[in-house]
Amino acid sequence: MTSMRNHTRGAVLVAGLACLSLIVAGCSGSGGGSSASTQTKGVTITVALSFEPPPRAALDAFTKSTGITVKWTNVDWDSLQTKISAAATAKTYFADATDVDWSRVGQLSKLDWFYPMEKYVDTKAFAADMPQLNSFTSNSHVIGIPYDASFMVTTVNKQLFAKAGITTLPTTIGAYTKDLQQIKAKGVSQYPLNIPFAAAEGLSTYWYQTTAAFGGTILDGKGKPQFATPDSAGYKAAQWMTDALKSGLVPPGNINVTDSQGSQTLMAKGTVASIFSDYSGNVGSLYDLPASSTVVNQVTYLPTPGVNGVATNLGNPDGIGIPRQAKYPAAAAKFIEWFTSAQNQSDFAGASGPDKVIPGFYIPSRSTGLSQLTSKGKLIEGAQLSNLLKTSKPVFPEGAPAWYPQFSHAVYTNLHAAATGSMSVAAAITAIANTANQLSTGS
Amino acid sequence: MAAGIGSVGPPLALSADGGPQRTNNRRHRRRVDLLPYALVTPLTLFIVGLALVPAAFTIVESFFRIQELNPPDRFTGLGNFKRLFSDGAVLASLGNTGLYVLIGVTISTVLAIMMAITLQHKFAGRSILIAVLILPWALPGVVEGIVWGSMWDSNTGFFNSLLTSVHLIEHYQVFLGQNRLLTIFAIELVQVWQITPLSTLLVLASLQNIPGELYESAKLDGCSSSSLFRWITLPLARPGITIAMVQAVIVTLNVFDQPYVLNGAATTGASVTMQTYFVSFQNLDFGEGYALSLLITVVTLLISFVVLKLVYRPVEF
Repeated sequence: MTSMRNHTRGAVLVAGLACLSLIVAGCSGSGGGSSASTQTKGVTITVALSFEPPPRAALDAFTKSTGITVKWTNVDWDSLQTKISAAATAKTYFADATDVDWSRVGQLSKLDWFYPMEKYVDTKAFAADMPQLNSFTSNSHVIGIPYDASFMVTTVNKQLFAKAGITTLPTTIGAYTKDLQQIKAKGVSQYPLNIPFAAAEGLSTYWYQTTAAFGGTILDGKGKPQFATPDSAGYKAAQWMTDALKSGLVPPGNINVTDSQGSQTLMAKGTVASIFSDYSGNVGSLYDLPASSTVVNQVTYLPTPGVNGVATNLGNPDGIGIPRQAKYPAAAAKFIEWFTSAQNQSDFAGASGPDKVIPGFYIPSRSTGLSQLTSKGKLIEGAQLSNLLKTSKPVFPEGAPAWYPQFSHAVYTNLHAAATGSMSVAAAITAIANTANQLSTGS
Repeated sequence: MAAGIGSVGPPLALSADGGPQRTNNRRHRRRVDLLPYALVTPLTLFIVGLALVPAAFTIVESFFRIQELNPPDRFTGLGNFKRLFSDGAVLASLGNTGLYVLIGVTISTVLAIMMAITLQHKFAGRSILIAVLILPWALPGVVEGIVWGSMWDSNTGFFNSLLTSVHLIEHYQVFLGQNRLLTIFAIELVQVWQITPLSTLLVLASLQNIPGELYESAKLDGCSSSSLFRWITLPLARPGITIAMVQAVIVTLNVFDQPYVLNGAATTGASVTMQTYFVSFQNLDFGEGYALSLLITVVTLLISFVVLKLVYRPVEF
């Protein structure tokens, strides 16, 4: 009987401890967030980005010189954006430094979810060497520091163009369209153009670049649509894209093809001859790699053909910033300075050999980093890319609006519907314009 | 005096007058009664903390306007629900989800019954077949979406390649994204592939409870296979079929991974849980997100209740 009593007491004690631990666990993460520390030595910071970390040796060298240990978390982009929103809303810590996408700058600025970087680094000094820093500035605050110089650019398969008898590459969109029709007519490629019509962000950015080629913009400084009328650049761009599908220039199956799928399965396999709005760096990172491409040395960047000549290229860079719930914002800032330094950027892109490379990192955000890479011959078509980068502009000159994600959703779902034929281009444009008007007036 | 749950008292001792010694046993029974409550308390706290409290929070918050880009939070009554029902994208997603439920529950239940009957009796390789059957259930929905996406692909997919090679079609077809019904059917087939194994096991468990003597005596009385199925197998498997159908309702009503991976955000196939994600994390309108979540929960409960009422019958052997 005594032993039975002892067993019961033991069980109740264990159960009580289990309850207590559950209560403590439940209360520990609730709502309080973390208080920021100014400490920069002897701390461990968490960096959450959507790619592989720098080489171990590089991170160890950073730790040795600063006393800051980096814990790297690789989260896919979509999940990362959700994590950022959820953590910020719940005022909960999840990282000291994380992704700031160009398209989220307006939202992050309005919601004050990130520290203004000028509090911790000399952003004015950065500006001279980072042509795309403007894309991360909202209400005079720099929300993130760009770590790559991604921008939208036209790519063409020179060999397919040559096979169709095209000896001079086009400089206007009219000539470009005619060349594609010629490629199709001569049987060189049944569907010479890739446009990713899947209802995803890649369709939105493709439309933005095409609108720029037609000589216009998407929104004005107040967020009002600039594409609502049939004579506007955005309307013409949407019509051109849809007509390209309907006239057989684009594979019918592209209804459900995303931007990355189109690059990997169509352009890299020689099925299509061109992508009007491709991504900078794809030639070196995809098309010229034998492991992933059958068109090695065939694809080149083309200055984007516009209505009256070469058009501007729009930037879609990636950045890194410090969330408000960061535990060690000062330490995170030191990491960001190190991560985005010209030397490190060119090393990560391959300037100093494969040991210092971050897989998938190709174009530094710093002009000096890009020059280093190009001068060492490590960036395929680097000179061309450098020239195009110099003249690239942000998609929204006044900054992406705070409601950009909702607007982009309207763009890609309606353009997708226009491509499937379930609504006309006019109806799609009207729906997108109405969304922009509602969001910009806050209704 | 009734014994408490789990009470295993010492054998009754005799008192001086020969009667049962009760005082010691009563005290001991009271102590022992605490034990079951103590043991289930952690789990209860867990369920209350992680399920009931968030559910209550969701119900309350669904009546507030909570927009991160438009503070402050304020009471709006049925405002969130009214806005949801006037949003074309939400209505389209409700329609899509209804189709997912109809197709998914019907096909998975029929297939589950057929497979369970096949597996009911022992045969060579049965264990291996069951192990292979379970594989789709073990895969994450995203992985299945990616695999099947490459098969449904309109430019390079396996199905197009197969159908053109046997001359059933002349040129490659667009299975996903063009036609709404075809898109939903193709997406839901992927989910059916995922959920049918569990349904099969649930029905199989019910079938294996059916005494063999019932079949023997029915056969002796001259019953055909179809009569055996209709009058013995199906009625007596109802509990398992009910559970299988309810779990299929829950899973198909909450489908997210497959339509998101296979068809992106297109309204032709967006489900209501996808819409909840867009409303909450793209639009940052958490009030509407709570309202939509509550709506999904209520609809799930209602449909599950209807299935229970129509399909379940108690079975005794």
